[in-house]
Amino acid sequence: MPAEPLLSVRDLSKRFGGLLALDGVHFEVARGEIFGVIGPNGAGKTTLFACLTGSLPPTRGEIRFLGARIDGLTSPAVVARGLVRTHQIVRPFREMTVEDNVSVGAHFGAGRRRGADARRRVREILERTGLAPRATISAGTLTIGELKRLEIARALATEPTAICLDEVMGGLNPSEIVGAMALIRSIRDAGVTVLMIEHHVHAVVGVSDRILVLNFGQRIAEGPPREIVRDPEVVAAYLGDDSVPVRADG
Amino acid sequence: MKALPASFGAVAAAAALAAPFVLERGTLNDLWSLALGVILASAWNLLGGFAGQVSLGYSAFLGIGAYTTALLSLRGVHPFLTLPLGALLAALFSIVIGLPAFRLRGPYFTIATIGVGEAVRVSAASVSFTGGSGGLRMPAGSFDFQLNYYSMVVLAILSVVLAAAVRSSAFGHALAAIRQDIDGAEALGVHSTRFKLAAHALSAAVVALAGSLYAINFQYIAPGSVFDFRLSLSIVLMPIVGGVGTVAGPVLGALVFSTLQIKLLAVPALRDAYLLLYGGLLILVMLYEPKGLVGLWRRLVARARSAGSVRGPEVSDAG
Repeated sequence: MPAEPLLSVRDLSKRFGGLLALDGVHFEVARGEIFGVIGPNGAGKTTLFACLTGSLPPTRGEIRFLGARIDGLTSPAVVARGLVRTHQIVRPFREMTVEDNVSVGAHFGAGRRRGADARRRVREILERTGLAPRATISAGTLTIGELKRLEIARALATEPTAICLDEVMGGLNPSEIVGAMALIRSIRDAGVTVLMIEHHVHAVVGVSDRILVLNFGQRIAEGPPREIVRDPEVVAAYLGDDSVPVRADG
Repeated sequence: MKALPASFGAVAAAAALAAPFVLERGTLNDLWSLALGVILASAWNLLGGFAGQVSLGYSAFLGIGAYTTALLSLRGVHPFLTLPLGALLAALFSIVIGLPAFRLRGPYFTIATIGVGEAVRVSAASVSFTGGSGGLRMPAGSFDFQLNYYSMVVLAILSVVLAAAVRSSAFGHALAAIRQDIDGAEALGVHSTRFKLAAHALSAAVVALAGSLYAINFQYIAPGSVFDFRLSLSIVLMPIVGGVGTVAGPVLGALVFSTLQIKLLAVPALRDAYLLLYGGLLILVMLYEPKGLVGLWRRLVARARSAGSVRGPEVSDAG
């Protein structure tokens, strides 16, 4: 890993009343990585993304992105610095067309594009995410698979340095998941660092360079996917559940 | 697809501008009132419709414009030269109240604006430089109906053009995003408070301009007229009945309201019944067509199209 990580998180905690949703979490993400975040339900994964991107103020801790503190900034300010998130529960602007949804990101994200320049950028992103044929229809009429891609498209339109994808494969069928994995790799290959929360263990093991495992708000492991799936603590907390069969061969 | 309402609008604007050559004074007065309604409804719609921030305090801005004009005219300034200052003061005031009020969401914001509007009315009635509850009379010799008519009609046309321009701009997209999902908009980089303040200031300035013209034409203003809560209510009801968040809706709403008002005023027994009637209209709209007359029209068009073709139409509300 290079000397200066793109994102570094130290001692990050978030308390909701009596619940410590994040408890002293620390990790670093290098430029160009695909960094997976896994853990059982309620482990604090979405809270982590919300704190990283300014949706929620952390209770304690330090978040550095591109060398500068970003904890305590509002989400538009974090987006302007090049860090953006998608939402697990999709939140399209239902009364707008698909392309207008994406243009909000192009206009007000880190790129701040206007006019023909913005339209070109929107068109290009719709092509990349396979939404071009749906460009002029109302976002409220999309299927769940398309809505998940719209979340990614809008976030990409802000021209991020790093993108936090929150369960973009939830509710997708197996062939759509293969497509989503290819899309995530292509995002990284285009120079955008990817952080991703994913319940779909095969997918996250398949695309991630490193994985962080959370349980009850605490970091219980971090490392390359192959090591993670063999880590006894991870297996006990999460993978030991028979419903998630993972084989770590070799 | 916007060509039809745009050409209707152009014809209506031309007709209103030509009206003084053919119509008599009474009818022109009615058209002046219609133009006032169009301005107030279209301006309110910038924040209330496009951005979804329903304010019931807009009489404050009308009153600020009217009082600025009356107070300065009484000190020898030409009434029409006071318009920019009234607009500026209203815009500044909108920011001062917007900063705390926009921290509130939904109905809580609306309730706060009622409080602001009433506080301004009570203040205007209780301080002496505004003439207290007795109000102010404009200086004699400043009345020219032809000029008053044209200025109100031109401002009405500009308000509708402004609304159309805002709606199709990046600014308009930001407002629409804020209305539909404020947290989602922020997650894509939209500084929601800034845009709400900007829309509030813009609409306050336009309403204040109308307030100045109101003072110039009526020659007499009082807290009970320009700061009236019922006025704030009418400003909200016009765009809601016509079609909230659309460009044509506030114009249609103003047309319905000014027509009703004129008909009702002609019947003495019904003179005070208009609030009952407006309330009834509001309930009908909210129950059956939340997008108002514009929504009703769109539904009819969609039905006519699907009756004419086998394939169902893809209706999008993006325009």
